[in-house]
Amino acid sequence: MAGIRNRIRELRAAREMTQQDLADRVGVTRQTVIAMEQDKYSPSLETAFKVALALGVTLEQCFQYEPRRERG
Amino acid sequence: MPILSYREKTLYASLIAEILVYGPYFFLHQQNSVNKVGGMIAAIIALQILLQLLIALFTRNRVTDERDHLIELRGYRAGYLTLASLMVLGLAALWFHATRGDINFENHRIGLHFLSVFFGMLVIADITKTATQIVSYRRAL
Repeated sequence: MAGIRNRIRELRAAREMTQQDLADRVGVTRQTVIAMEQDKYSPSLETAFKVALALGVTLEQCFQYEPRRERG
Repeated sequence: MPILSYREKTLYASLIAEILVYGPYFFLHQQNSVNKVGGMIAAIIALQILLQLLIALFTRNRVTDERDHLIELRGYRAGYLTLASLMVLGLAALWFHATRGDINFENHRIGLHFLSVFFGMLVIADITKTATQIVSYRRAL
């Protein structure tokens, strides 16, 4: 599945931060953090910046855009 | 057992309230009284308030975020589409039966029947809205 991918789980684990800790810092629910980590939910730009800020990295270090491949 | 957010818990409560109140109304009773519709609306409001209070009492984290709003919009879209489709089908059925002469417009109870059908459409649309939101949460969006 192409689209927006992220390294939230990896970066969070490196900082020994729980999903709830990150959710509290960003101002979202834990379920939203879970959905983002599973690449099932792409956050808004504002939330993406907040996540990167909470993890102490730049937006590009946290989120990557993978264009969908055209068929044919 | 998945951990449910505050919004998810309130949605399950809404669905339970809708099924508990509307279910018996549509399947056990004759839908022929305006008072029953009024009682139904009062019952669902009372049950919703009670369930929401219980959930609020036992849920510490009551944060809602952008994903909740997105899912809410998705639910309203599904509910609206359901209601619009049912209205078109209902009007088509009314036109069909009216042209065949099946409906006696002289009958003074006809208004109550129309009210009941319209109320049923609203209920189905509302349940669709709630169910769509629950499914969206379970699918992570």
